[in-house]
Amino acid sequence: METFDEIKDKIKNKCLEREDPQCISCCPFRLDVRDFISNMRRGGFNLAYRQYSNAVGFPAIVSEICDAPCKSKCPRAKTGGAVELDLLEKACFDYASNLNPNRYNLPQKNKKIAIIGAGMSGLSCALRLANKKYSVTVFEKSARIGGSLWNMMPSEIFLEDMRRQFMYETYELKLYSEVTDPTLLLKEYDAVYIATGKGGNSFGLLDNAQINGIPFATKHKGVFAGGELLGANVTEAMAQGLTASNTLEFYLKTGNMKSAPRTSHTKLTIDTAGIERSAAVIPENRKRYTKEEAQAEAARCILCRCDICEKYCPLMRYFGLMPKRIEGEVHITIHPGTLDGNGTVATRLISTCNQCGLCGEVCPQDIDMGMFLRLSHNAMRDKDAMPWAFHEFWLRDLAFANSDSAAFFYKPSAKSKYMFFPGCQLGASNPEYVLKSYEYLLGKMSDTSLCLMCCGAPAAWSGDYEQHQEICGEIKKKWEECGRPVMIFACQTCRKFFADYIPDIKSISLYEVMLKNGISCPSGENINEASVFDPCSSRYFPETQKAVRALLKNSGYKLKQLKYEGDKAQCCSWGGQISTANPLYTKRLIDERCSDGELPYVVYCSNCRDVFAGSGKEVKHILDIIFGLSDWNTKRPTFSARLHNREYLRTVLAEKYCGEKAAEVEKTALYMTPEVENKLDRAKILEDDVRSVIDSCEEHQRIVADSGTRHKFGYGMVGHMTLWVEYEAEKNGWRVFNAYTHRMKIEREEVWNGRKQDLDDLQ
Amino acid sequence: MEENKTSMICSKCGVPLEPANLYFSYLKHSFHTEIMRCPKCGMPFIPEELAEGRMSEVEKTLEDK
Repeated sequence: METFDEIKDKIKNKCLEREDPQCISCCPFRLDVRDFISNMRRGGFNLAYRQYSNAVGFPAIVSEICDAPCKSKCPRAKTGGAVELDLLEKACFDYASNLNPNRYNLPQKNKKIAIIGAGMSGLSCALRLANKKYSVTVFEKSARIGGSLWNMMPSEIFLEDMRRQFMYETYELKLYSEVTDPTLLLKEYDAVYIATGKGGNSFGLLDNAQINGIPFATKHKGVFAGGELLGANVTEAMAQGLTASNTLEFYLKTGNMKSAPRTSHTKLTIDTAGIERSAAVIPENRKRYTKEEAQAEAARCILCRCDICEKYCPLMRYFGLMPKRIEGEVHITIHPGTLDGNGTVATRLISTCNQCGLCGEVCPQDIDMGMFLRLSHNAMRDKDAMPWAFHEFWLRDLAFANSDSAAFFYKPSAKSKYMFFPGCQLGASNPEYVLKSYEYLLGKMSDTSLCLMCCGAPAAWSGDYEQHQEICGEIKKKWEECGRPVMIFACQTCRKFFADYIPDIKSISLYEVMLKNGISCPSGENINEASVFDPCSSRYFPETQKAVRALLKNSGYKLKQLKYEGDKAQCCSWGGQISTANPLYTKRLIDERCSDGELPYVVYCSNCRDVFAGSGKEVKHILDIIFGLSDWNTKRPTFSARLHNREYLRTVLAEKYCGEKAAEVEKTALYMTPEVENKLDRAKILEDDVRSVIDSCEEHQRIVADSGTRHKFGYGMVGHMTLWVEYEAEKNGWRVFNAYTHRMKIEREEVWNGRKQDLDDLQ
Repeated sequence: MEENKTSMICSKCGVPLEPANLYFSYLKHSFHTEIMRCPKCGMPFIPEELAEGRMSEVEKTLEDK
């Protein structure tokens, strides 16, 4: 498995999120086509023109001569024709209401620059330097400006554009001024740009790089060259002129000569498979677009970017963050810049990830952000910087599942060929799932052993690596004790965790075993049309997905595909146990998953079942169908009932297979209305905890009473949580009216008792 | 607060609660505020509105700090 630093490095260096699309990559001006198109498609011609003008310098000229190299690379070419960017460039020029450049009131700079050649490269460079208020002089040996444009278009177009772009700037133009030695100009000027055009004079100053077409730094300090002189075409020459202005400015500021960076081709590739075909808009007048035509053509652009992880990840969409930004925020969260640890911006983000791994599955660079966030969780926990509240409930749940009250291990003979690992939530959801499945397995393979405990996933999700390892070790020991049997899993999450952390264990799913060994699966009485909702972890076990479908089809179910299933299966919301850290997101996610399909869902993960049942979706676990258990509308058990179910399951198993008689445990009765019961469940307050708080309050008489209602109030600690209970005595137990919690701990209360006078200064 | 003062009685001491400072801590931060407490034994009372209102807000702020 990858380490935290390895994934971090991949996000930084391999993630294609910020990679340019092909069109930008091959544009000499690096026009931000995605932004340009976004403005054009909503009719924002002024903004599009401004953006275009900033990129190209002379928009009227470039829109006429641009040969749109982008079109040969556009992925739309295969689905209706490349986006007609050249026509869109002309349209932004045609429909912008103000073509004049912006006027900036900047102080004049005291540096002088000489430009040799009044062709388009020289003038582009002059324009940008003049914009920045450098003192620019252009030397032109002929009588006119514009260079090779005279052979390409009517002079009124380019002369008008030059007039317009320079309307608020000044530069000195020296016509009939042939320069013989640029180095001599350095006596008067701070830097020189040679742009003498195709076949022009290079004064013997070009070095090897420039001879090979890489512009800017010449052999002589302070002298730069670019444009058609180095073999560029006119648009490339103009783009080089614009870039040269920055290179010259960098030289003036630092004294360092730079060449243009080698342009690297984009690594972004777009899969055109899912793109709907749409034909390019042809202008009605065959020449230029109307506004509507331009908007329609712009709408065809698919705005290429690598965002496939975001498309599949509701978390990234919810937080509006992509991998690189997530990496940055996680970094400052783990390594905050201040001593008191402020700025831990990603704490909740880290704790909101379901860690389902789909982002890594769909990523062309194989970057698993889920694993990155799981390992971030470890780092945060190691620094004691993760709020305990996010996972404490689930860690207590794990502890209970692995306690003597709920865990159970049984081997019918010294060695087993198979071991059933139902997982801790299956029996919590419905003990019959485990009892009937194990009975079935013993009927088919009588030496099958049983290991009923938690796989440790909640510890891994909470960042508690040590505890997770400890549990893995315990399971491995039991597995070895039984002669290293093949493990039969009901829960694909347990199975995936074993595959990752105890890879020695060979596994198979309960449903494959059932399909292979045969089981009668009754057909639906009133509903026999449904969708299979694959649990996210089943993505790694396609044969399980197939087995479930086969079992259902064998019993006559008609199955309708869901938006996300198979290798794109999404998490129901349970993964990562995020509901405490981010209840709002969890709710939204459940609603999203419930609306993936209109038909009732058949699931084969009890957590999926309970999540969907909890929000009113018609759902059955496949074991409900096979063994005729819960109905489509059976409610999910409360958290308190889940604990009780586990205790019950253990008791039944121990009695049935080991002949153990369960000790009678008498619990004080709690009475509450269904509303109070629901409220406690929503807040994940367990009845056992309520009971122990009341017992403790009564024992120590730490009670406050309401003089009106006579209700008693008391509190106690449940882990780190403070639990308040409002109650009164009833029959042989307690009537509970309310219970609520807070995460803040009440401090110093104990020192008040009997010693208040000593601490008056503190109070 | 006035209403709380007269209606909540400490069962152990039999006296009405009064506002007094109470110290809290959460995620390595500590702070204090005035809460209804028994003037004799110090037993505090935190009503649900406070726990699920202001306290919950502060808890979330500290978690996201």
